[in-house]
Amino acid sequence: MSAYSIIGRPLPMTDSPAKVSGLGRYADDISVPGMLVGKILHSPVPHARIKKIDSSKAEGLPEVKAVATGRDAQRPYGILPIGHDENALATDKVRYIGDNVAAVAATTEEAAERALELIEVEYEPLTAWFDPLEAMKAEEDWIHEGRPHNIEKEYHHEFGNLEEGFSQAAFVQEERFYAAEVNHAAMEPHSTLAIWQPDARLTVYSSTQVPYYLHRTISDVLEMPMSEVRVIKPMVGGGFGGKSEVIPLEIIAPILAKKAKRPVKITYTREEVFYAHRGRPITLVDLKVGLTREGKISAVAARVVQDGGAYCGYGPVTVLYSGALLGAIYDIRNLKFDGYRVLTNKPACGAMRGHGTVNVRFAFESMLDMLAAAAALDPAEVRRRNLLQAPCVTVNGLRVTSYGLPECIEKVVERSGWLEKKGKLPYGRGIGIACSHYVSGAANPIIRSNMPHTTVNMKIDRDAGVTIFTGASEIGQGSDTMQVQIAAEVLGVRPERIKLVAADTDLTPVDLGSYSSRVTFMAGNACLEAAKNMRAQIFEAVAKKFGCIPDELESRDDAVFYRYKPAQRIAFDEAVRCAIDFHGTLVARGTYAPPDESRGGQHKGAGVGPSPSYSYAAQTAEVSVDPETGEVTIHRVVAAHDCGKALNPVTVDGQVIGSVYMGLGQAMQEEMLWHEGRLMNPSLLEYRIPTTLETPQIDSIIVESEDPEGPFGAKEAGEGSLAAAIPAVANAISDAVGVRITSLPLTPEKILEAIREKQKQDREKNAATRSEKRGAR
Amino acid sequence: MSLPAMRVVRPRTVEDAVRVLAAHGPEAMILAGGTDVVPNLQMRLFAPRVLLDIKGIGSLRGVVRQPDETIRVGALTTLTQLLATESLRLRYPVISSAVRSIAGPLQRNMGTLGGNLCLETRCRWYNQSDFWRKSLGGCLKKEGTICHVAPGGDRCWAVWSGDCAPALLTLDAEIEIAGPNGNRRLALSSFYRNDGINRIALGGDELLAAVVLPPRTAGWRGVYHKLRIRNSIDYPLAGVAVVMNVDEQGVCRDARVALGAVNPAPVLVKQAADWLIGKKYSPELVERLVHAAIQTGKPLTTSASSPVYRREMLRVFTRRALEEMWGMRPRTPNGND
Repeated sequence: MSAYSIIGRPLPMTDSPAKVSGLGRYADDISVPGMLVGKILHSPVPHARIKKIDSSKAEGLPEVKAVATGRDAQRPYGILPIGHDENALATDKVRYIGDNVAAVAATTEEAAERALELIEVEYEPLTAWFDPLEAMKAEEDWIHEGRPHNIEKEYHHEFGNLEEGFSQAAFVQEERFYAAEVNHAAMEPHSTLAIWQPDARLTVYSSTQVPYYLHRTISDVLEMPMSEVRVIKPMVGGGFGGKSEVIPLEIIAPILAKKAKRPVKITYTREEVFYAHRGRPITLVDLKVGLTREGKISAVAARVVQDGGAYCGYGPVTVLYSGALLGAIYDIRNLKFDGYRVLTNKPACGAMRGHGTVNVRFAFESMLDMLAAAAALDPAEVRRRNLLQAPCVTVNGLRVTSYGLPECIEKVVERSGWLEKKGKLPYGRGIGIACSHYVSGAANPIIRSNMPHTTVNMKIDRDAGVTIFTGASEIGQGSDTMQVQIAAEVLGVRPERIKLVAADTDLTPVDLGSYSSRVTFMAGNACLEAAKNMRAQIFEAVAKKFGCIPDELESRDDAVFYRYKPAQRIAFDEAVRCAIDFHGTLVARGTYAPPDESRGGQHKGAGVGPSPSYSYAAQTAEVSVDPETGEVTIHRVVAAHDCGKALNPVTVDGQVIGSVYMGLGQAMQEEMLWHEGRLMNPSLLEYRIPTTLETPQIDSIIVESEDPEGPFGAKEAGEGSLAAAIPAVANAISDAVGVRITSLPLTPEKILEAIREKQKQDREKNAATRSEKRGAR
Repeated sequence: MSLPAMRVVRPRTVEDAVRVLAAHGPEAMILAGGTDVVPNLQMRLFAPRVLLDIKGIGSLRGVVRQPDETIRVGALTTLTQLLATESLRLRYPVISSAVRSIAGPLQRNMGTLGGNLCLETRCRWYNQSDFWRKSLGGCLKKEGTICHVAPGGDRCWAVWSGDCAPALLTLDAEIEIAGPNGNRRLALSSFYRNDGINRIALGGDELLAAVVLPPRTAGWRGVYHKLRIRNSIDYPLAGVAVVMNVDEQGVCRDARVALGAVNPAPVLVKQAADWLIGKKYSPELVERLVHAAIQTGKPLTTSASSPVYRREMLRVFTRRALEEMWGMRPRTPNGND
């Protein structure tokens, strides 16, 4: 018998019945009497001063109940305290095609759209900046006044001794890598419903990953006490980071509703989702890595430029992650990082699954293979030779507490048939390997404080049903199920006994949100603590009844029993009644804050990167390349992920497979295409996320390193596997046809061009060899 | 995105439909499966007063073998039904090969043969939302005066993006057009005008009623190769349809090659029959045809994929298809099975 009765079991997710039956309600499914449709007027120009807005004609339409402009909410906001540079509706300037200028609320969508056309806006054009390298040279028309040369932030870190490191290298490789911009493309477009209650309080239903930040921001921008704002997160159809900061419609809907004195719902079109964006930026990575003759990484220097778009958003965090997460995966003693977050006149980038690390990981893992080839070493072996010795603190101040990477590598090497295949497959077929890692939540909160990052409350009343009150946001990743399983395990009850109230700011305590893979580790730990506190109260009462001490009791399968004589037991509901006799309605609380030791170093920017724990992943990809078309077929990906402990192996598999799928989309085909600041493919027809037909067999292998601080040893599972998928494929393509593609996505066109170039070089080389031989004769 | 305010008319007969068209002229628009029309309406590429929903016209459905051995396929036959019709699949394999590549199963359940033959031409500067197009100031095809593909020109290069048409061109298909004066027959090749704006020879008071397949091309080998990024959903970035009648000695008795998605119309490679009839396979002959194909196809910057790459794929696909017809290369599996 397993030591656990609920933990580690592949239970179906608690929200599955609502999803598969269609009864689950997402924000756009919610309708209330008198509700109006809100629509937003977007800027047709990339950079301009607004001279005049005349909305009188729109206001004259009988169906129109309110028109809003920047005048209606002038306090700027932003997810980072250092980046309050946004207004939901432009106050003075527009900064990208699609920026928000005005909004209307009308009785029908058609009327709202018609009204938008009647709003007259006069623009005074400014020079627009589309290329980050050009934007950095700008001497005028800066996108934000306080950001000279359009540089949002730059960071320069150096750890160890670079010069010495490179001097020890037998092989030094330098390369520029490029990654195109990608969007989360969550199935559910953003949607917000705002209702002003008769008592002048505001209720907002929104598709968000961060109800708490939304709560704060609405209060701040609308200048009303937080206590009068209620944010409710209904079911969310995927976030992936795209809903992890306040999105303009979440401010605009309350403003319109206030002016119209009626509820207003705004649901973005897919095109508007692309304008709200917050996806992964165009990234230039200039990478230089030294490898010793023994295959040890001796020094790493990376210069990263991110094309952040028109607003700060999470930008400084994104660029800091790209540097910080060069650490905590391999043993690197000498590390230099120069990071630039640049503003351009395009939609703002932000957090996206694998935040900050993905494009740099593509570069790094590609380069490891290039160096392995130079050193005539097996790529899997090079990675093995650079493992960390955990527990440890890395040169850039990241504390590694558990480290399943070695086992991940072993597992994928074994399962994929690596030794029989690498370098041994016929021309056109190849296999590649890559590794990645990710944080289990940020050790430092976005808004610096020493408050808990999350709190979970629990209540049991006479029905012996357990209710969890949690601020954690279920966005499809399994947040609710995870907490139900933890509570059921600790209390020794069937999961069906547990009810969960989540992400409603009137009812549930603060949780920072579903981002940076923090929920299992943090809300899981808080839920664990709450359940233990609850159990203690029950045991105390039962111990009294049994005449033993509480420590001698156990609970399992809906019963509490005496450990040394399990026949002496009472049913859980009876135990609850004993305790209620004692305490009244049972309530308990648990909190979590990362330990001080996990919170990183002292250098500027040291706050980003530290985590209480890191997940690890290794992957192999096996591909075929058609040398005449450049088309790639991915046959199989073997993905091992160290999630510490799989609280629910089915949801872990789902997260790993989903991450690999998403990584393959970025690897092969996803790309936001720009033409002078205009997004050329703002639709799911032309922004091509993969279908099932391009998605290969993905074998998920769970590795359990049992983190000492994670709940039951668990750490993150939702993001860490994404980054490895991309370089694994790039490395497999190189193995298949001998070309190295350094630019994402890895399109057939680029591959074909590289193959042709290589064929030409090979021919020239052969010709040269032949003529040399002739010469020698 | 809302639909424009319009009156929906649902006639039961072709005659009624034609009457409505004649009465409303360009203010009326025909709706069949809706997979092309509905998104275009949402984007306000059109704002008709009258939407003529012809789905209730029974005589436009069904596949019938006629006394003269031709096969008449009603315009409302769905793409899924085309795939399920054994007589077509066995006698005209190029049709199945092409139809299977169209969009995904859900769209094929809705989309019709007639709709696919009357698709609107596509261009990355045109198939965009109302907001997007207006922010650009429109294009030659709509709301503007400049072609963003070939600035300075006065011709619209929006691309013919259907998959059925090239396949049917190779089969010498004819179409039946219903109008106020009854039906007229037209070679499919005369239906397309190679003009991104006035793409088809269909009068404002006419509707496409059926496709007629001749017995002559029945039983010919055929295959359709489609360039696309995904193996489902995507419109073609280039398409090559090839059919060939090959005898036991490997001699080509007749053949056609047609291209789609690289010009404003689907086009036959004219030299194919002349050059191939009476010939056995030879790499030189194939290369000659490949050359003719890339002379015929003129991809421009109408899509995200570059013209250079699309041209290159015309080359590869034409070569591979011809080799396949002669049995020099294994049959290409159809991606969407």
